[in-house]
Amino acid sequence: MILNDDQIALAAEYVLGTLDLVERQEAERLIASDPDFADLVQRWTQRLGELNALVPGVEPPATTWAAIRARIAMLGADEAAKSGGQVIRLSRRLRLWQGASAALGAVAAALILVIATQALRPDLLPGALRPPAPAMPGQFVAVLQRDPAAPAFIMSVDIEKRMFAVRRVVPEPEPGKSYELWLVSDRFDRPRSLGVIGDDPYMVSERLAAFDPRIINNATYAVTIEPQGGSPTGAATGPVVYSGRLIDAQPDRTR
Amino acid sequence: MQSAARLVLLLNATAQRDEAAFRELYDATRAKLFGVVLRILRRQDLADDVIQDVYVRIWASAAQFDPVRASPITWMATIARNRAIDVIRRRKDVELDDEAAAENIAAELVDPLAGRERREDLQRLLDCLGQLEPERRALIRAAYLDGLSREQLAARASVPVNTVKTWLRRSLLQVRECLGL
Repeated sequence: MILNDDQIALAAEYVLGTLDLVERQEAERLIASDPDFADLVQRWTQRLGELNALVPGVEPPATTWAAIRARIAMLGADEAAKSGGQVIRLSRRLRLWQGASAALGAVAAALILVIATQALRPDLLPGALRPPAPAMPGQFVAVLQRDPAAPAFIMSVDIEKRMFAVRRVVPEPEPGKSYELWLVSDRFDRPRSLGVIGDDPYMVSERLAAFDPRIINNATYAVTIEPQGGSPTGAATGPVVYSGRLIDAQPDRTR
Repeated sequence: MQSAARLVLLLNATAQRDEAAFRELYDATRAKLFGVVLRILRRQDLADDVIQDVYVRIWASAAQFDPVRASPITWMATIARNRAIDVIRRRKDVELDDEAAAENIAAELVDPLAGRERREDLQRLLDCLGQLEPERRALIRAAYLDGLSREQLAARASVPVNTVKTWLRRSLLQVRECLGL
């Protein structure tokens, strides 16, 4: 949008701090809706910000740092409680799901078909979709996602061998971060790590070996974003970004 | 004051929840930000509270800092200034009688360690402000540095609020043209 003089002056006075409440709200509405206006506010912020160099420094009280530190420590505890709580709430909510396939979008369903084919008849697929060796353990799959139409990870589990394979569909994590996979079960008081996933587009893991097949089958699988190499504490520290449950990739097979 | 590049690194590390980096950032910037806050609030007790808020906000939103769009010290000073203005606008009991304190800041008093490029940017802004009539220049400086509202500016200049409104608008459009914004 081409800005008129009124809007240009509004952006400047917003930064100057002289607007009344109504004008201020109008400016904030424009910042949210008009990138050109937001950009102009940013440039005024930077330009007028030079004036701060004219303000002489004054030492704050010696006690200030301790007070700030205490406040950010409380903030940290809140954040940790929220992300831990999120995994537990997820577990409760997902237990209510009857038949996960009903909740899957068409895209995810098509991908499950691909996965099932990968497990049963890899020769039917074009080369790019064929699983690399070692062969992907088949039988059960989970589509880990946030949006029902956009799968992020496809996990397939061989319950008998207690192995799983994960194919990453989303881009790799940003530098300095890792995706970590968690098994969330009402049998455990907190999520159990299944390790870092997604560094490679495809990986096979034996990290399920320690779990009972019934737990593996009924668990929710959740992905969090953690510092590179995985959570330093063994508990999820980042928010849950994707999650899903196992469904039978071979619906004809009797369990 | 640390170099801008160092402050960018410290802000990035703060976004990763690096407390040692945050401490270094605090030590490097506390005097400047407290100066900004105290100048607007004029009361030590109010400034003591606000400066804590400011650093908690910097800690919480460090990940939103974009070095392409703002210099680190300006980004932090803007958080400090906005918070101080929020507080001062809600209070009626802070007197504006200490004008002497507000007036004793000379244009020459530039942070000597702020870096040459920064000084050039500041000089350019001061040059553009210098093209305004003196009373309008004083208006902009008082609004920005002292956090005065239109009503306070009008009282100080002994003119109606609408006059201040018109002066500010015209001055800012003129400064924009001069800066090529």
